[in-house]
Parts: sequence; structure tokens; C-alpha cells
Amino acid sequence: MSHYARLWLTSARYCIMRMMMFRGDFFVWALVELFWMTVNLLMVSVIYRHTDTVAGWTKYEMMLLVGTSLLIQRFLMGFFWSSIFEMGRNIRSGHFDFFVAQPGNVMFTATTRKIDPDSLINSLVALGVVIYSARQLGLQPDWIDILAYGLMVACGVIIHYSMLVLCIAPAFWITSVQGIEGSYFTLSEFSRLPRAAFVGLAKVAFVWVLPVVVVSNTPASTLLHGLNGQLAAGLVAITVLWFGLAVFVFHRGLRRYSSASS
Amino acid sequence: MLATLNKYRVTFLVGLQSNLIYRVNFAVRGFFSFFHLIVVFILWGAAYAGSPLIGGFNFAQTFTYFVALLVAQFMIGAFNEDYQISEEIRGGMINQFLLKPVNYFAYRFSIYVAARLVTGLLILLPLIVSLPLIGEHLVLPADPWRLAVGLPALFLSAIIQFGIAYCFGLLSFWFLEIQGFVILSMALESVLGGQIFPLDLMPEWLFRVSQFLPYYYQMYFPVAIFTGRLNDPSAALVGLGIQACWAVIILGIGAMLWRRGLRLHTAVGG
Repeated sequence: MSHYARLWLTSARYCIMRMMMFRGDFFVWALVELFWMTVNLLMVSVIYRHTDTVAGWTKYEMMLLVGTSLLIQRFLMGFFWSSIFEMGRNIRSGHFDFFVAQPGNVMFTATTRKIDPDSLINSLVALGVVIYSARQLGLQPDWIDILAYGLMVACGVIIHYSMLVLCIAPAFWITSVQGIEGSYFTLSEFSRLPRAAFVGLAKVAFVWVLPVVVVSNTPASTLLHGLNGQLAAGLVAITVLWFGLAVFVFHRGLRRYSSASS
Repeated sequence: MLATLNKYRVTFLVGLQSNLIYRVNFAVRGFFSFFHLIVVFILWGAAYAGSPLIGGFNFAQTFTYFVALLVAQFMIGAFNEDYQISEEIRGGMINQFLLKPVNYFAYRFSIYVAARLVTGLLILLPLIVSLPLIGEHLVLPADPWRLAVGLPALFLSAIIQFGIAYCFGLLSFWFLEIQGFVILSMALESVLGGQIFPLDLMPEWLFRVSQFLPYYYQMYFPVAIFTGRLNDPSAALVGLGIQACWAVIILGIGAMLWRRGLRLHTAVGG
């Protein structure tokens, strides 16, 4: 375990050194992410200029939900996105050999090699949105709720990570997944909507089959209404299920990998 | 004249072929775009549950707006023209155009038209398939003037779309990496171009300001004409005038960037 922690820390140190070499790039990307987050909040703001509630959620409840969703997404982008995004290209080009030749778990090294400091910096802004909304709502969560919120956000990151790996893993079979990986973000749009807004087929698809709605709604509800043991246990179970599925599919795909470079 | 046109006709046909190779990729992208429509449907459906009219428009009108916007994006949006131009400059492939009697803008524009023809037709497939589901939520006004002003507006929007992508691509003469600029511009475009919410829902002063910016004319303007968010023919004609001005300005900036960029270009390699 400590071996993997050391590996990750070495990679993280390299990414931060690289960021310091390309400071201009870092600022531009941090600004880009900040702007996209503002766009999401602006949308909430514009909708609530014309209506008081959306699926029973008031403006600041919705801000809290959007903030939570952005927080999960920033962590996903910060810790995993670059590595997983590159993975599809590496499989196609044969550069994936590098990861196969490394000692240790291939999935770990291939999906955690790069971090994006600009996304991690912006996770503070997303956290700021959550805290601001909570204050506007006059919430006073106790430390158990806050701890549970943190753990649920971590579950959300793991679920998104697993779904992203599952989006890229087809590259082992069909070589190019460019259309699919780019479209992953469309799915994440669902996580900014209140669960109560989903009915019928949409509820089955985006709440039960693809838990994109649950990952943001459950932690947000914990802050708003306190810890619900049943919901929390459900989220942990879904997390284990999706992570297990991602590990299984990745390793099945790895057996199919036959380098393109040599 | 005919020989000149023939050059770009061939470029267009080659562009058509190369885009047809990626038809599955475009189809996948089109399919996932419909997920965005589901988000729109759920979010705005929930918002309209509390208020039958938002900004003076009902749910069907707002949903139609987003569907039309999606179709327009596939028909005229510049997907990755900026990156392709950037690649050609950074990789030195642009050198060949400097040695041949080919206008680089016209060459790139021919490929853009070919690509949009493919993606524009491909997005119609999932739209037709889903029509039984979404048909009852679509309302399009039938005034003839909308077609007379909307079609030239759509054409000018395509020029502005491509022109902006062309300018960003040419920035590669100066910068190694343009991705940050492009995505920052996309974020601005998504708000001020009406992709996140119809612009008329913004505060009045901001809506007025947006009407003088190029983003308004990239997509929102023709879509607003076709879907009935813009109902005054004379205001539409004034808009068409402003749009034409922006098209000329952007094309002018593109020509200037090309001239100045070439002065900096060192054409390293064989």
C-alpha cells in the first residue's frame, strides 16, 4: 500500500513541477475551469429569476447540489481525468506498453499517473459554493453529517472514475473511443439535477442503472436533511459494485491488448 | 474562375470522403447530444412545473429552441477546425499551401462545409427516430419572413462560426498551445451564444449588450428567428445587418492574422 502511495506521490510531484514550468498554461486552464463552473451557477441563477422552485428545490438548495456535483467533478478531473483520457490514445498508439511494463497494478499506474493542479485548485471554489449555499440556507450540520458528506463525495468520485474507465476500456476491443469519451461529460450533466425531477424511464436510466443522479443528490441531501443511513449504505454498495465492474472490465480488456507499436 | 472553383470542389469532395470515414464517431456524438436534450427536458420541465410561462414562453417553445439549437450546432458549428488549422501550422503541413496556388482560407472552408454536410445530415437521423417521442413538445412558427431572414442569418452564422475557429487556429503562429484559448472562448460562447439558456431570459441590459457581440450571431440569432423567440421582422433585419458587419470584421481579422502570421512562420523541415 505504501509502495503505491509513494508511486502516486512521485507522479504528483512531477506534475506539480511541470505545472510550475508552464505557469501560464496553469493559469489559463484554471481560468477555463472557473469559467465553466460559473456558467453552471449562472444557469441556476437565470432559471430562478423566473421561478421559485425546481422539483421542490429552492435556489440555494439547487446551488448546494450544483456545488456538490462540481466538487465531485473537480476531484475526478484533478486526480484521474488526464490519465484516463490519455489511456484511450495510448491503447490506440501502442504507448500503453509503458504501463504494462511497469511493476505493480496496471490499472493503478495507468489511471493515476497524472494530476491536474488547476482542477484541484478549483475544487476549493466548488467547496466555497457548497459552504456559501449552506450558509444562505442557515444549515448547521454536525460533524457526523460533514464526515458523511466527505465520504459520500469520495464515493461519488469513485463511481465517476469507474464509469469513466468503463467508457475508455472499449478501446481494448474497438481501438478508437474518441466519440464516447468526449460524450462522458454529457452524462455528468444529470448529476446537477434534483432526483425528484426524474420520473418514469429517466428515473430508471439515470437514477438506478447509471447512478449519476445519486452521486450528487445523496451527499447534498445529507447536508440539507441530515444523514440517512439507508441512502448512505446504498451509495457505498453502488460504489463497490461500479468499482468492481470497472476493475473486471479493465482486466478483461488488458488481456486483449496487443501493442500497436512494434 | 471555373478552374478556381473546381479546385475547391475537389477539396470539398475529399473533405466529404474523409468525414464519411468518421461517420460512426459523429453518430455517437449525435446520439450523446440527445442526452443533453433529456437534461434540458427534465430541468426545464421541472422549472415550468412551478410556472407555466418563463420569460413569456411556454415549455414547448423553450424545448423547441434547444432542439433547434442542437440541429444548428451540427449544421454550422465549427467542431475542431481550430485544432486542425493549429496542427497544420505547428506540424509544418501548412508549408505545402504556400507553394501551391491554393487559398488556405478557401481550402479550409471547403472542408468545413463538407464536414458540416455530413454531421448536419447525421443529426437528422436520431431526430427523426425520436420525433414520435418529442414531436408533441415542438412548436415552430410558420411565418414566411422567418425563412427569408433566417436562411441568410444561418449562412452568416456559419461564416462567423468558421471565421472565429480560423482566427483561433491561426494563433498557433504565435502560441504553441491554443487549446486554453479555444475552450475559454467556447465557455463564453456557450453563455453569450445562448447554449445554456435562451438569451432573452437574461437581465434586459445584458441581453441588449449581447446583441452587439459576435456570440449572439454565432447560433442564437438564426435559431431565435426560426423558433419564434424573435418576432419582429424589422428587428430581425437590423440583426442581419449587425451580423453581416461581424462576419466582415471576423474575416478581416482572419486575413490580417494570416498575413502577419506568415511573416513569423519559419517553415522548418523538408
